[in-house]
Amino acid sequence: MSTTDTLYRHNELTFQVMVDASPNALILVNEAGKIAYANAYAEKLFQYNRAEIIGQKIEILMPARFERYHPGFVRSFFQTPQFRRMGEGRELFALKKDKTEFPVEIGLNPIVTINGNMVLASIIDITERKKAEQRFRLVVESAPSAMVLVNKKGIISLVNTQTEKLFGYRREELLGQKIEILIPSEIRSQHPKYRKEFSKNPETRAMGAGRDLFAVTRDGKKFPVEIGLNPIETFEGKMVLASVIDITERKRNEEVSKKYTKRLENKNKELEQFTYITSHDLQEPLKSITGLAEILTEDYKDQLDEEGQNSLAFLHESTERMKELISSLLHYSRLGQKSTVEEVDCNELIEVIKKDLTSSISETNTRFEITALPTVSGYKTELRLLFQNLISNAIKFRKKDNVSVIKISAKKQQQAWLFAVKDNGIGIDMKFTDKIFTIFQQLNPKEEYPGTGIGLSHCKKIVELHDGDIWVEAEPDKGSTFYFTINSKTPLL
Amino acid sequence: MKKIIGLDCIILVDDDKITNFIHKRVIKRADIDVTIKVNYTGFEALNYLKKMSELPIDKYPRPGIIFLDINMPGMNGWDFIDEYKKLPSIQKEKIVIAMLTTSMNPDDENTANTTPEINIFLRKPLTIEKLERTIDANFPIL
Repeated sequence: MSTTDTLYRHNELTFQVMVDASPNALILVNEAGKIAYANAYAEKLFQYNRAEIIGQKIEILMPARFERYHPGFVRSFFQTPQFRRMGEGRELFALKKDKTEFPVEIGLNPIVTINGNMVLASIIDITERKKAEQRFRLVVESAPSAMVLVNKKGIISLVNTQTEKLFGYRREELLGQKIEILIPSEIRSQHPKYRKEFSKNPETRAMGAGRDLFAVTRDGKKFPVEIGLNPIETFEGKMVLASVIDITERKRNEEVSKKYTKRLENKNKELEQFTYITSHDLQEPLKSITGLAEILTEDYKDQLDEEGQNSLAFLHESTERMKELISSLLHYSRLGQKSTVEEVDCNELIEVIKKDLTSSISETNTRFEITALPTVSGYKTELRLLFQNLISNAIKFRKKDNVSVIKISAKKQQQAWLFAVKDNGIGIDMKFTDKIFTIFQQLNPKEEYPGTGIGLSHCKKIVELHDGDIWVEAEPDKGSTFYFTINSKTPLL
Repeated sequence: MKKIIGLDCIILVDDDKITNFIHKRVIKRADIDVTIKVNYTGFEALNYLKKMSELPIDKYPRPGIIFLDINMPGMNGWDFIDEYKKLPSIQKEKIVIAMLTTSMNPDDENTANTTPEINIFLRKPLTIEKLERTIDANFPIL
């Protein structure tokens, strides 16, 4: 054996060892389309002993459906031998000895050997990859929103049923199309630019921050959308998974609620103005009437008979009453304005109120039973007025024949504190309990229980400022318990 | 002083004493021979109607007209009408109910017009003209 021959043999051996040890299945096929060599990994993959397949037609390793066309492909490969992937764009399958099929990817390499031209096929089993892809498809399919997978070139490679529904296209009409097909024509030309920017710096984010996004259906109908972008690595390279949500309904609701809020704001302003102006303008003539009545009283009282004098007295009374009504109306409309939220210790608040009401408490012999009360965040002045009104009412509507006892307690609820102010007074017929919180409504004759009838409507407004509710449970002749809640979090407004 | 047949008594139902004072005076000045009763609540008026048949007629004459206020504490004018409907017909025979109110709420007038118990809807204050209109429409002149 010559030295060159030995060297050549040696090289061939080295090559064989290398090929054999490769972690890829490698199969050498000659121009006749027969297997010339298979490495160890190929044996393992196809479950053949290499002796069984060497010399066999390569189609032995393929499902029967490929047998007819494959020899033609082999011939055409040898006509223009160059490295390429086999069956670009098609799904390839191989066949094991036990006739089970499995998906593969195959790279083809032309090789010149002493035995002539050969092709080295490197075969990769992509079963696991296909399973992963399948799982991914399932996840995308089951997503509640439209999902579109787009490759680096902007081509749609996967969509789900939600996408079909939302855009009115069938799946096959979208696959392979540019993503711009789903973008309204007037902004379509801008989109490739945005796409490139995203691929430069891919990160999970919402699309078009700060801009209103629109999509277009197959029928050319434009609709507002929200789009989330997710860069993902796939076997086919970097892609972007876009999830598209139709926000037509949300936009409409936003518009409607914006409109209502605006209208409500206007109404509120109007009402505030109305109360203020009417109250103010009503005071003017009222002051004149008061003044004129005083003139009559001072200068002419003696000249009047009893009915005349009564009229004059009533005139005074009426003007006083109107003054009171107007000022309580004004007060009502101003509740909660210009107040700031602070921590209010209700125990301290009650002590202050008791001090303020000392004379009426001692005159009526009223007793208090107060459990430990919480500190709440709220409007201090308003909360004080709330307690003061309820306590004054309890004193005012006491039963004359027993010692009046006022019990004040509080209970923690999930979101709020529930307060109770309980008395043993004259009580209320439950059928009137709706009325008592209405402005200027009174249940008892003014002669017996003077007042403007605004106290409880004040209370209601104050409780509502604190995002709470107020109600009463009462029984005539037994007493009343006023309950109200104060939100334990910061109140509205 | 005129005597109107069927009109021996007028009841004013109003919680406001000044209103009652003024209305009483208007009726007096109309120069009609009639007893005026003032009830501050609907309860009082209902009790009067329930009791009058058992009590001496000179002290408890049958009312020909009840002037009824709407806005009263506790039982308001509408609540009174609801209770009034439940009375046996003998207790409300030949009684004219005139709703007399400061209410500017058109709903009140509409409801009054469709309530058979209410014969006439008037706005305060009561004047001689309004009183005569009520009488002319409901009490035949002999």
